[in-house]
Amino acid sequence: MSNESQKKYWTSLAEKEGSSSDENVSPQGGESFSISRRRFLEAAGFTFSLAAFSGCGRAPSETALPFTNQPEGVVPGRNMSYATTCAGCPANCGILATVRDGRPLKMEGLPEHPVSRGGLCAVGQASPLELYDSHRLTHPLMNGEESNWDEVDSAIAKSLEEIADTGGAVRFVTSTITSPTLQASIDGFLQRFPDSRHVMFDALSSSAILDAHRQTHGIRVLPHYKFEQAKVIVSFGADFLGTWISPVEFTAAWRTHRIPTASHPEMSHHIQLEGRMSLTGSNADKRYRISPDDYGSLLTLLYNELASTADQPPIDSESGQGSPDVDIPALADRLWNARGESLVVSDCQDVAVQCVVNAINQLLGNYGKTIDIERPSRQRQGNDRDLLELIEELQAGKVAAMFVAGSDLTHNLPLHDELAEAIRGVDLVVSFADRNNDFGSLANFVCPDHHALESWIDSEPIDGVVSLTQPMLQPLGGTRSILESLARWSGRNDSSYEILRSHWQQSIFPRSNGASFPQFWDQTLHDGIVTVKSNPRAIEEFRFDAIQPLSESARGDFCLTLYHKIGLTDSRHAHNPWLQELPDPITKVTWDNYVCISPATAEALGVTNGDMVRVATASGDYQLELPALLQAGQHDKVLAIALAYGVKGTDRFANVGPDWLEAIPTVAEGELVGKNAAGFIETTEDSLRYNRADVTLEKVQGHRELATTQEHHSSNVPPSVAPHGAEVRESIQETSLAAFSQDSSAGTPEVHHHSDVQLWPEDHPKAGHRWGMAIDLNACTGCSACLIACQSENNVPVVGQDEVRRQREMHWIRIDRYYSGDGGEVEVAHQPMMCQHCDNAPCETVCPVLATVHNEEGLNEQVYNRCVGTRYCANNCPYKVRRFNWFEYPRDDTLQNLALNPDVTVRSRGVMEKCSMCVQRINEGKIEAKSRNEPLADGQIQTACQQSCPAQAIVFGDMNDSKSAISTALKNPRRYGLLEEFNFRPSVSYQRLVRNNDGEIEGDEHV
Amino acid sequence: MYHVVLRLILLVGLFFSLFVLASGMSGWRLPDNQQGYAPKQPIEYSHRLHAGELQIDCLFCHSAAEHSRHAGIPSTDVCMKCHRFVTASFDVMSEKLRIEDQIKQLRERANAQSDDGDEATSLDDLQRQLGELKNPSTELEKLYSSLGIESPTEPVPSSVDSSIPWVRVHNLPDYVYFDHRAHVAAGVTCQRCHGPVESMERMRQFETLSMGWCVNCHRESTENGINGQAVQASIDCTVCHY
Repeated sequence: MSNESQKKYWTSLAEKEGSSSDENVSPQGGESFSISRRRFLEAAGFTFSLAAFSGCGRAPSETALPFTNQPEGVVPGRNMSYATTCAGCPANCGILATVRDGRPLKMEGLPEHPVSRGGLCAVGQASPLELYDSHRLTHPLMNGEESNWDEVDSAIAKSLEEIADTGGAVRFVTSTITSPTLQASIDGFLQRFPDSRHVMFDALSSSAILDAHRQTHGIRVLPHYKFEQAKVIVSFGADFLGTWISPVEFTAAWRTHRIPTASHPEMSHHIQLEGRMSLTGSNADKRYRISPDDYGSLLTLLYNELASTADQPPIDSESGQGSPDVDIPALADRLWNARGESLVVSDCQDVAVQCVVNAINQLLGNYGKTIDIERPSRQRQGNDRDLLELIEELQAGKVAAMFVAGSDLTHNLPLHDELAEAIRGVDLVVSFADRNNDFGSLANFVCPDHHALESWIDSEPIDGVVSLTQPMLQPLGGTRSILESLARWSGRNDSSYEILRSHWQQSIFPRSNGASFPQFWDQTLHDGIVTVKSNPRAIEEFRFDAIQPLSESARGDFCLTLYHKIGLTDSRHAHNPWLQELPDPITKVTWDNYVCISPATAEALGVTNGDMVRVATASGDYQLELPALLQAGQHDKVLAIALAYGVKGTDRFANVGPDWLEAIPTVAEGELVGKNAAGFIETTEDSLRYNRADVTLEKVQGHRELATTQEHHSSNVPPSVAPHGAEVRESIQETSLAAFSQDSSAGTPEVHHHSDVQLWPEDHPKAGHRWGMAIDLNACTGCSACLIACQSENNVPVVGQDEVRRQREMHWIRIDRYYSGDGGEVEVAHQPMMCQHCDNAPCETVCPVLATVHNEEGLNEQVYNRCVGTRYCANNCPYKVRRFNWFEYPRDDTLQNLALNPDVTVRSRGVMEKCSMCVQRINEGKIEAKSRNEPLADGQIQTACQQSCPAQAIVFGDMNDSKSAISTALKNPRRYGLLEEFNFRPSVSYQRLVRNNDGEIEGDEHV
Repeated sequence: MYHVVLRLILLVGLFFSLFVLASGMSGWRLPDNQQGYAPKQPIEYSHRLHAGELQIDCLFCHSAAEHSRHAGIPSTDVCMKCHRFVTASFDVMSEKLRIEDQIKQLRERANAQSDDGDEATSLDDLQRQLGELKNPSTELEKLYSSLGIESPTEPVPSSVDSSIPWVRVHNLPDYVYFDHRAHVAAGVTCQRCHGPVESMERMRQFETLSMGWCVNCHRESTENGINGQAVQASIDCTVCHY
């Protein structure tokens, strides 16, 4: 018997211990019913009689308003796609925005984009909801009061004139700006002030990497990492598949060498050394649990090992002895053998440590191959040294005017109250935020900028890769582009379009090979992106003398790591309910932040999930009480807290979700969603540090039940119901690369109980189309982009924290995250799970009203109008993918309703719903092909999840077409169907996980 | 005697109630069945005149039917393709031309001969008749005001334009997804669902547009084809409901 099938998978620590809270709970929860039967019948009778009356008479009359002058090319009811750029983070992925009747509905990845390559993360997918946010400002604010642009402009112009005359200091503070036009506008605006400076900061800074390159290469740049060139990847804490710098791009690149085939059984080797369990760590071939304060000593040891091979002088290493678990010589050996095809990265904010990382990459010859600094990345430009200098200036009262755009300055920095006090002393404080956020409440003026979908702007994420952002609709409120605001205050009246176009004519067009500017502009606007010559740079020879021995840092009992969750990569996304309700890919918690603690530490402390703990700095100047979350695979010394919580204004979500008697508000009175942990950020002389080794942890009174989905909808099969003679198989099948290269079907459970019995052979003719899906577990990272794509496409409601606690989340896709191991060292597998569209669907046989039936094309269809809500189907579904509408979920926010997809019914209370395999897209594709009188081409129809996937893990198509991508995927020797032994005949297949871990599983087998 | 009267009253009452019931039942229809719905429209537009008498193709105005799920109500500028020149009904337009012609002839004659009181009177009369002619017609005035223009022949906007608030006649429930493209491509005639539009003065819903009616047609079309062409008109639920 193969070892894999003996491997025990578990989704939560409680399940591993055998005390799953899920065990006795019916699949859809089970609340006690407090109304008597008699009362219910009375009420029902009354309601029915009313309903009968209401059936008479005409439907309410509706008007249809055509255009007066129809713009050319606009057809009512027809989707238009426009290329634009995502502004969710400075990674600036390409977007193909779907616009119907003048309103943007759905964001898709731009397939031709050289950086994001057609993928789009959860934040990008969720951006329409931020556009249709009724809490955005619709007018400027002056001293906190509603004002208008004329008043604000004249007041600001007057102050600026005084400042220009007196020579006061003007500071323009932004998060990373990738837009060449905005950069030029800011530079131009600041010119008239003798003492002016532009300071960039990032909510989660990578400043040390840039500073290290200044020391080693003489130029302050963020290199462009090329994971697609790397065969050996070593990451010290950098969550590059999750939130680090440009996750969509890195995921697409990382995937390049992750798919072994029978003829080419090769994969990259990915080693992650980290303290907390990150998404990247969960996908690594080999993961070491390392406390972040050991990164420096380990990297020094690694450098010395490589240096001795390369005949370079070593660094004195008195600081620490590394970690006994990590076999440094073996690691160095592996890297040395992959010279020029390896990559070492770290998220450490210590410049000296980053210099060592650079030196390692230099020894390995990675510069120019896997690391590009000739065309560097501009996706993180924050300069912590400048920022710290600014804070000093502020505290010394030296600043006369301050402008802040992008991220919320005060929310994301430590020493909040001192900073706020200092900012109050500044004469002119202007915020460009779209709402009255934490910094905005300190500002004299809030001049709200447009949402990206309303703006004309550009971006250059990688040097020489320039993209345009075009407006999808007229601004919804009285906001104004930051370009226009700066122009007004400089005495010009240009529109943002004119500013952008003239900057392109002067600065971007000369860098291209284009013949005429209008043609160049039109083509770029159509494509969304253009590649031009990069800016010339003076890069110096690598300076090994820049490498200094690392200083010993202070060490306490615990090391705290501050990180960003997927989705909430900036505090401005905290106002997006889709992202708040997105289960974290690892912890599966929604609507909260918490302290991740390793199970061993938690046991020693006597806390369990949800118990309140107090984390404090050793000096005691900052402390926070948060619920604990036991995280398998975390280092025992490490605590992890997510940033971007506790955002001002998130008390708006108190009543999100259904309103009923037993509803518990998502946000308690006087509280916010989560708590802001930015106070823990450590400031040194040159950087902001997100790992600090001097914190204490203690248990305090109180308990807060976290809304975690990790045990919900478990498809575990009890052995008692396994078919006779068949072994119950786990959902995940995996193998090692060593085993795979010998036998490409390695990992198949040996006991087969295969039956070809068809329940309804006549009802299931196989002519025409037969839709199927295949998901490659080797590509899937669990990033959850598909989940939000599905939510956006299929009008999935937000239910709120309390309903999530009651297992009533409505997402049509869930990403099952399985651990295997002992709770300390764990391996992780991610598995997207949605309706499997079984041919022999157990749900169909039990529906008393035929509300769920099979269609001619192999889809399991759910007919909302027939459904009476017995929930038998959900009980009988072996995959637990059906979701029941327990309520009429609130749709009171009429502005937010504009994000609803008009092609998908908004389900009402009492009906079942589930993945439809985007049947609206299938119909659209078929009809479009028919109306053009063309055959339906493979790949023309893409489901929402498939389209968004940065790793291209999902293939969808017609299984009857022997040439289609899905047919090829089905022939893959790694293919398996979930619970196939029961003969459900699912239309969704998976491709077995292959881990490149040196056949360690094989090794165990022989012990 | 008392019983006889009572029985008589009861019998009359019974007949009366049966009559009321029967007459009520004749107008009985399923809830949401909008068959025969013909609301008053903001402009008394006549399909009989345009599609019937003038034989303008349906797709000339409802051009979106080929490219979109909605057939679309034409934008005002589509109407202006003709109504920039056609500013009143045929009768009024020909009457106008006739009077203008007469005036011209009268003037020519007046120029040729000396002044004549009689002819001056008839000229005044004709001018008055011309003034009485409603041109542009009341309905077309609404069209021009939607575009915010004063003179149709020289359409210079004089005020803001505003959409004409047409009342929807064929309005399927929100949970039904109907796509014109598929039906037009398959060769289904417009009249198959919309009835003899070319004879309707005011647009009305001709068919029930109920699910049974849709499904029957899909079944028949799959069996017999459309215009001799074989078609696959599916009757899966998700063809219309998703």
